[in-house]
Amino acid sequence: MITKHHIHDVLKMLLMTGFLTVLCGCWDIKDINHRTLPIVMGVEKKNDAYNVFLLIPENNQGGTGAKVVTGTGETINEVVDRFSKDMEVQVDLLHLKVIVFERAIAEQGLSDSISSFMRARDISPKTIVAISEEKLEPLFEKLKSSSKNGGVEIYNFFEKSAGWTPHVAQTRIWQIFRSLNSFTHDVAIPIIEPGRTTTIASTGSAVIKNGKMVGKITPDETLMFNAFNGLGTQGRIEVMDHGSVLIVADKLTHSSSIKGNKAILNCRLQLKVTILETKGSPSVTMIKRELDEMLTGQIQQMFRNIQSKEADILGMGQFFRTKLSRERLEHWRSEYYPYMKLNVQVNTIIQNKGLLKMKN
Amino acid sequence: MKLLDRLQERQKLDADLFIHRMFLTQQPVMLAGYKSLIDLPHTLMLLQQQAQNAIAAERPLFALGSGIGDCISPTEELKVIEAMSEGNLIILSESSDLCIKIVPISRTLSRAIEAPTTENVIRGSVSAFNEDLDTNIGLIKKHVHSEKLRTQSYRFEKGQRRQAILLYMEGQTNPSFLNALKRRIESNLGNNIPNLQALNKLLGFPVWTLISRFNTTELPENAAYALEKGKVVLFLDRFPFAIILPSMITDMFAVANDRNFPLFFMITMRLLRTIGVLANMLMPGLYVALVSVNPDVLRIELALSIASSRVGVPYPAIVETLLLLLVLELILEASIRLPKTIGPTITMVGGIILGQAVVNAKLVSNILIIILAATTIASFTVVGFHNSIFIRISKYLILILSALYGVLGLFAGVVVVCVYLASVNTFGIPYLYQPKARENSDG
Repeated sequence: MITKHHIHDVLKMLLMTGFLTVLCGCWDIKDINHRTLPIVMGVEKKNDAYNVFLLIPENNQGGTGAKVVTGTGETINEVVDRFSKDMEVQVDLLHLKVIVFERAIAEQGLSDSISSFMRARDISPKTIVAISEEKLEPLFEKLKSSSKNGGVEIYNFFEKSAGWTPHVAQTRIWQIFRSLNSFTHDVAIPIIEPGRTTTIASTGSAVIKNGKMVGKITPDETLMFNAFNGLGTQGRIEVMDHGSVLIVADKLTHSSSIKGNKAILNCRLQLKVTILETKGSPSVTMIKRELDEMLTGQIQQMFRNIQSKEADILGMGQFFRTKLSRERLEHWRSEYYPYMKLNVQVNTIIQNKGLLKMKN
Repeated sequence: MKLLDRLQERQKLDADLFIHRMFLTQQPVMLAGYKSLIDLPHTLMLLQQQAQNAIAAERPLFALGSGIGDCISPTEELKVIEAMSEGNLIILSESSDLCIKIVPISRTLSRAIEAPTTENVIRGSVSAFNEDLDTNIGLIKKHVHSEKLRTQSYRFEKGQRRQAILLYMEGQTNPSFLNALKRRIESNLGNNIPNLQALNKLLGFPVWTLISRFNTTELPENAAYALEKGKVVLFLDRFPFAIILPSMITDMFAVANDRNFPLFFMITMRLLRTIGVLANMLMPGLYVALVSVNPDVLRIELALSIASSRVGVPYPAIVETLLLLLVLELILEASIRLPKTIGPTITMVGGIILGQAVVNAKLVSNILIIILAATTIASFTVVGFHNSIFIRISKYLILILSALYGVLGLFAGVVVVCVYLASVNTFGIPYLYQPKARENSDG
């Protein structure tokens, strides 16, 4: 029996499904094969205009190969829009994995680009940022010619589960954005160039202060930077005068204090190592002492290097956040950081002598 | 001899009605009944034996209270006919105007107790219910040795005249539920219930529902377990399933037979079924959402391989998914209809040849084939065919919402399904109700 009530229900349902289909805007949805998903974006300056490179995987049945498109424009968005207009597919930056800036841009300042990426949201905030020392054309040529798997090589280079090593910094857009707005935290951005035999080679990291590149650290110093940020130095082999060791585990603890107007940070690095080989017949204590001295020296040297640039890439200011008022934190980089004292204490435990008969 | 004349008259219309003349204790009698229901030679032997017993005991065979059968007044012709169509034998004595209804040896008109045909048992009792009501009740009684088991019989007098038997455990069942159910059945005894849809209507459940309010099982083991859990089991004459009320979401994932396996296996199997249900409901929707609306969620390698597998596919993802789902549903429906001997052939033709050809013709992408094959397999991990239908249908709702709103739509679809499930109840017992362990032990 169909009553008025039933008809009302049916009408309501029809109205709901009607609204659902009319108001959803689903006709603007583009399938994945009608979008192009660039993996690498390169940005360089050319006579006050941006020159943008995109490395795009080629969508053919085999799924191999990549192509590079370039364009020049006033803003990055303008260039990307032009790509979209000129290509048979829509350019979709949401899968962008790496953005490479030319060194000149980094020295002038990345803040505008990074803030606009964060705001526009068409690029994922976890995209990795890198800096190229040279012009970008050779780098992209190299990436294109060595692309065997749709150009994901450079992404794997930075991917922790793939080809990443602790000698390479791993800095994402959101981290740079954070450093732009933080009083106490700067970042290091990996510097890459086309390798002679490998696709990419890393020559160290750029020290970024307030979005501007102010200096450079070596790959070994980058390792310290990563260890300080908890990114692990596991597997690293330290070679000393009397032998080489393999670091199995590391642990870093800090304690901070302010004496007078001077910041003091005590760091304790605890390492567990196994001995791989020895030269001559060193004793365990000797190796321990050598390792301690070597690491302390390296850390102190790197610290002095970045301290002179007033760039707190290790984020040491973070340990003083509870000890300084906000007004004073504002001047962390200029008033406290350059005069900060860092005490490093390395404590090594030899976990395994590697079947070598050694004296203690 | 008015009744006898009437019966002879009727014999012209009912070909299997017999009227047989014989002597019992030197008295001539007429036997009447249906040949198709009564095993006549055996029944005659039984009668002769009883007659001889009566002679030996020196008492009249047809004396009231001799225990041979019930007397019916010969004037009540309708009652006589009814008794015959129920399979009874009528004895009319020629001398006196006596009419007696006795229970004869009847023909075996139902299967023997066999293994179940719709449910498989790996470890547990294998016998299944059949069409005979008494056999079914007997099977249950064999499984539940309890003085608490109550058996209530109802007759639906209209149309097909069905007998129904309601079984429950005294004290275990929720009393308000039981009373509501009984009242409902008693007030509708005049109805005809040719099928479960009619039963659904009789019990007052909504017609437009996606969830069957009663669970059916072929296995006495499951029915006995349900009884112990405080559920009510309903048997219908000529219906080889136990109808278990109320149905619950746990029926989808748990069977009594699981408890014949070690606890760890039981938990894993149930988990697997849950994953199967989720996979079946979510996978097509997830595919469409990820491929057309939110490709950013995919890993880049997967995004690239899906993109390359979709090159040249003319339809949007939702159309290709619906297309292939339709083909799969057709295969499912066809394989139910097909005789068992040629079923595998069709499966092979459908699965391999059609699937391969459809990819080669670039109508759909081959990743979709993988996804839909997994989906279809997953849809039958759920317990009970009637439960799998709900999942099969709700998949389409989620699919359409995903096509419109992507991953957000997928989750909205899941919420809608959950809300719907929460709205279902059987005589006040919610579908999502999970009885607590303590309530069970208390009864």
